[in-house]
Amino acid sequence: MRRIVDPSLLSSWLRLAALCLSILVLNGCAATRSVWLFQGHPEKEIERNQFPVEKGDDVIGRLATVRLEKGDTLPDIARHFSLGINAVSAANPGVDVWVPEAGDRIVLPLSFILPDAPRKGIVINLATMRLFEFKGDGKSLVVSTYPVGVGTKERPSPMGQMRVARKTALPTWHVPASIAADHRKKGDILPAEVPPGPENPLGEYALYLSKSGYLIHGTNKPASIGLKATNGCMRLYPENVKLLYNDTPVNTPVVIVNQPYLVGQRNGVLYLEAHTPLEDPGAGAVELEKAYAKLRVIEKKSGRTLDWKKVREVQVEARGIPVPIVEMSQGTEKDAAETIEVEHPDKLYGRPEIPELKMDAWYVLAADVRDEIDARRMAAIINHQGPPIPARVVSKSKNDGYRVIAGPFRDVGEARDAVKRLKIDLEIEGIVIDPVKKI
Amino acid sequence: MRTNLLAISMMLVLGSALAGCATSGDLEKVQAQQKLIDAKADQALQDAQAAKADANAAKARADEAEKQAAERERIADEKAAKADAAFQKSMRK
Repeated sequence: MRRIVDPSLLSSWLRLAALCLSILVLNGCAATRSVWLFQGHPEKEIERNQFPVEKGDDVIGRLATVRLEKGDTLPDIARHFSLGINAVSAANPGVDVWVPEAGDRIVLPLSFILPDAPRKGIVINLATMRLFEFKGDGKSLVVSTYPVGVGTKERPSPMGQMRVARKTALPTWHVPASIAADHRKKGDILPAEVPPGPENPLGEYALYLSKSGYLIHGTNKPASIGLKATNGCMRLYPENVKLLYNDTPVNTPVVIVNQPYLVGQRNGVLYLEAHTPLEDPGAGAVELEKAYAKLRVIEKKSGRTLDWKKVREVQVEARGIPVPIVEMSQGTEKDAAETIEVEHPDKLYGRPEIPELKMDAWYVLAADVRDEIDARRMAAIINHQGPPIPARVVSKSKNDGYRVIAGPFRDVGEARDAVKRLKIDLEIEGIVIDPVKKI
Repeated sequence: MRTNLLAISMMLVLGSALAGCATSGDLEKVQAQQKLIDAKADQALQDAQAAKADANAAKARADEAEKQAAERERIADEKAAKADAAFQKSMRK
């Protein structure tokens, strides 16, 4: 018996099958593409210091992520990517600064809203602890940006307009009386002046500002970049101050501002970047009100309703990252600067080196603790002193704890100096360990 | 008539007496059963109290473990904060 098939019915079935097949194929493509995007190869490099400034744009750079490896610390990651420790910590709340989990992916906040100041010469934003140096004119403006360490609450960095009065390579540090007095209280007698070298806190380059007593300089404590640790000066990583020194002529204008809340646009998208204010909350409130006023003006002018809940969230989280608040005009291109993943470098630039153990060297027992994390944290903190003191964690032979051993030191004098520094700077009571094998 | 009444009364007394005898036998049985049930109830109560005590002890242990974990976390955070504060101080000139 032959089945009679209606050709029109067959055609409908064929059409349905073709439709299903095409849906499946398209689905497959989409899935493959999203998987491909997700597993995309990390970029080898990312721009961290120099960016073109497009006309009408206030936002530069792009966010990135990097996967941590064993032994990484956030200060090492920060330095490699030319970020301050403040920025990396704020962008990655809850991540242990000294003993982060290997394998965790952390955010590199390499996108910045330019401060609300003339785009000329040097502009330093104390709240974001970042310096911007503008080159060129309105047609082709380029900005170089570096993280800085700024003054403490007791000795804050100055604000206002000034200029670079003079500059010096290999500067001598003339110890101010106030700093000498602070050190004397701790039992540390400083000389009247410190010549160039590893003990000199100015590092290798200094730009003296027209406001007397204030400098932009390098440092012998690179881990302090992104901290309120200076006596009012602005300090940069050694590799950054060298670039700034070479790029900056005498008389370059310098404007120092304090803007924890930044509002800016890029590609027609409005961004807000919030930082924890440097001062007490009262003073931060004034800056916040300014930012809100600016947003209200933009909302009125553009006729677009801002997501005030989101504004509030960004402000409270204060992660120091430009967050899109609203698209200013319909049909504008979506922000092209998406977050990218960066490969973990083979070697992190500036990471403290720990020399191999030597049997004929002197050491200092810095700590004897039960918890491995505590030991690793302490060793990392000692390693990041300036000048560095090498330190490592050693498991105790009975497996009942860990020791933090600083060294190797060439002689007993070096070991005793380390004990003194550990005591003065970190309040650690170190014990000198004789060499295992006498020379 | 009187004879009838007497007969009825006697039947009632006899019935009552017979019924009384049956109740006393049953009563002993019931009392024995009650004792057993009572003992069982005691056991059940003891078991329940023991289970409750165990549960309370387990909860107390869990609470204590949680408290200790929170305390450890607090101490770890405190240690980290203290170490970080010392580090930040050491970064001054």
